Amino acid sequence: MAEKVNKTEKHKMRLSPGDITFNIINYTVFILFSLICAFPFYYLFINTISDNELVGRGVISLWPQGFHLDNYANITKINGLGTAFIVSIARTVIGTILMVLASALVGYLVTKEEMWGRKFWYRFLVITMYFNAGIIPWYMNMSMLGLTNNFLAYIIPGIISPYNIILVKTYIESIPGELEESASIDGAGYFTIFRKIIFPLSKPILATIAIFGAVGHWNSFTDSLILMTGNAKLQTLQHRLYTYMNESTNLAAMLSGGSEETLAQASMNMRPIKFTVAMVTVIPILIVYPFMSKYFEKGIMLGAVKG
Amino acid sequence: MTAAKSPGLKSKPAKTTVDLIGYVLRITIVLTMICLFVPALNPTRMSELIKESDSFFTSGISYGGLTEGFTRAFNKGYIESGVLVRTYIGSITALIGSLVMLAGCAMTLGEIKFKRLGAKVAIAGSGIAVLGAVFIKLQQTGFNNAANPERIKPLTPVGGFAFIAFYGVCLLLSIAYLLKLPQAGKDDKYVMEGKFRLFLMMSPFIVLVVLFSYLPLWGWRYAFYDYTPGQALTSDNFVGFKWFAYLFQNSAMRADVGRVIVNTLAVSGIGLAMSWLPLAFAIFLNEVKNSHVKRVVQTITTIPNFISWVLVYTVAFALFSSDGFMNHILMNLNFTSEPINFLQSNSGIWFKMWLWNTWKGLGWGAIIYIAGISGIDQALYEAATIDGAGRFQRMWHITIPGLMPTFFVQLVLSISNILSNGMDQYLVFKNAFNQSKIEVLDLYTYTLGLGTGGSIPLSTAVGMAKSLISVILLFSANKASKAIRGQSIV
Repeated sequence: MAEKVNKTEKHKMRLSPGDITFNIINYTVFILFSLICAFPFYYLFINTISDNELVGRGVISLWPQGFHLDNYANITKINGLGTAFIVSIARTVIGTILMVLASALVGYLVTKEEMWGRKFWYRFLVITMYFNAGIIPWYMNMSMLGLTNNFLAYIIPGIISPYNIILVKTYIESIPGELEESASIDGAGYFTIFRKIIFPLSKPILATIAIFGAVGHWNSFTDSLILMTGNAKLQTLQHRLYTYMNESTNLAAMLSGGSEETLAQASMNMRPIKFTVAMVTVIPILIVYPFMSKYFEKGIMLGAVKG
Repeated sequence: MTAAKSPGLKSKPAKTTVDLIGYVLRITIVLTMICLFVPALNPTRMSELIKESDSFFTSGISYGGLTEGFTRAFNKGYIESGVLVRTYIGSITALIGSLVMLAGCAMTLGEIKFKRLGAKVAIAGSGIAVLGAVFIKLQQTGFNNAANPERIKPLTPVGGFAFIAFYGVCLLLSIAYLLKLPQAGKDDKYVMEGKFRLFLMMSPFIVLVVLFSYLPLWGWRYAFYDYTPGQALTSDNFVGFKWFAYLFQNSAMRADVGRVIVNTLAVSGIGLAMSWLPLAFAIFLNEVKNSHVKRVVQTITTIPNFISWVLVYTVAFALFSSDGFMNHILMNLNFTSEPINFLQSNSGIWFKMWLWNTWKGLGWGAIIYIAGISGIDQALYEAATIDGAGRFQRMWHITIPGLMPTFFVQLVLSISNILSNGMDQYLVFKNAFNQSKIEVLDLYTYTLGLGTGGSIPLSTAVGMAKSLISVILLFSANKASKAIRGQSIV
């Protein structure tokens, strides 16, 4: 026994050649994959601050050349981009706040045993996660409710999120019941208990769902693509970026067919501009990212607990 | 709750006629509210220029929506715009009345004082709504006597009388209810049992769920009609299972659907076959003993999960288009003299899609396993080390079995999602060159329904079949999970 212990201690102190090889390979693979994940953002960025002519020729690859910030000034001149930015910010802020408040309240309500038909309504809500009418019925429904070409289409359908409600419910169930009981003996109503006790205590989980909700709102573009066809002013930033990228695909396709020098020129100058728009859509995510990372694990682990 | 107990509760009377009227009243009001969303009952549709697919609710909330088809009619003076303004005023009045009525309906769930107040509010609400509905009906003459009836094409909607009747019944019922209700005692207060208060707090959210999750299912009926946008669904264009049969009988269609299903299954299949990758990522990351490196790797590899597919495509474009990073490197190293446009090629597109999926999701997918590893008892590792187990033996005999339940749940979920790849990724990467191989079911239903020359009934049929199969898959997977591991996932 003592021998074995000694052996493991020795093992810990001095790495065997096998361990060293393993570590070298392991570290290399992970550092390489991290580089693959990070490099594209860096690449986009250096292409937005480098000389546009060089960017158009695809020369900029590892470091910036001919530094300038004109692109960031120039995109403000693109018609409609500012509006799209405001729409995206507005839907993210309003949509996330309403979703979080609703999830908190509903998550609390479904923990109350005495609610009329609680079990039924909870299942009624949760089961919607598992089916989907499909894109056309969804579109027809939105159009019937007057939510096409309407800003509310970004907000109202997203208020209820069964998955987030389950997360909040699971969290609230872990809060000691005594707190609530003493408050209700003092004559506090359900809403007062929710506002004064449950809501403040659920802040960690609410922060988690707020992050996921906000990222979802910021990134979503199919709703804009499908519902806002008649009003370009309501299209989101992601939708704009998609449109710009799509135009370039068409241009490139045309180029591979014919050999129009002017088209080539036009497509080259569009390249840095597109990347700049892309940077503008990704920068908000990168800014909030450090603050969100600490909530990831909590959220995803709670998510593993089923409703 | 104790504080809410009222004197009235102590001697709860048996069910009486009053209660019965109460039930009927509440049900009638809720049904009337539902009818607001039925396009066939739209009382404002007094001209063919108003879309058949619009419900009373749609017409009532926006004047722009109501008059969408009238731009030309107003310009040419076919009809006075005043008629439509009055119709709109009537609709707004009826909708407001409906809301008041609904509020009254909610109050009748309380004790006696609330019941009496609720009945009064319901009388007021249904009264207003009746006036609104009658006012709409009065505009019928305006439509019939329009300057150019041939262009306006006046109609007499069923809903015109139906809504007057609905609101009328609500009015009568609430009057009867108020008359039958006993007078409130002196010490009675405005109280409501906790169970109903909770339900009322919940009800707005139930309405939202109905509107956005259940109501779309009603749209499945389009799969059974020969529908073109703007038309109504009537018995004339009912075609039964024609579109479902068409999917199999029309050879071009059959080939198309077959191709799309092959694409879908291929993309999902590669994903399933490689679903152990996040698990391996987590296990090997756990072997990185330097906590700073570990933290940084985890942080950086998670970032791509938080960017949209449009941005992923932008990244792909930046790196792999003919002017992109990859071609620059390849040409500098003299591997190729002509730029290769990697994005405009059909070759290995399924695998490329998997690669992008992995780039975006690997670090994120590993988090659940990383958290799982930290939950494994460290004593197990120590004991194994003492017994002489090497690194790989510990991974194989301790870590992997410890993560198996999580892995299994993820696997079952991805099996049930085998037909749902989402459409964002494939939509952004799609172009004329790779279209035939990249179209998965979700993308196909979108282009089939909303693309140029699309067919809404056909797309609905495809989507409906997909949804049904997905639900069946999910429940079978759940059953299998129960049988194999004694644990359900849904």
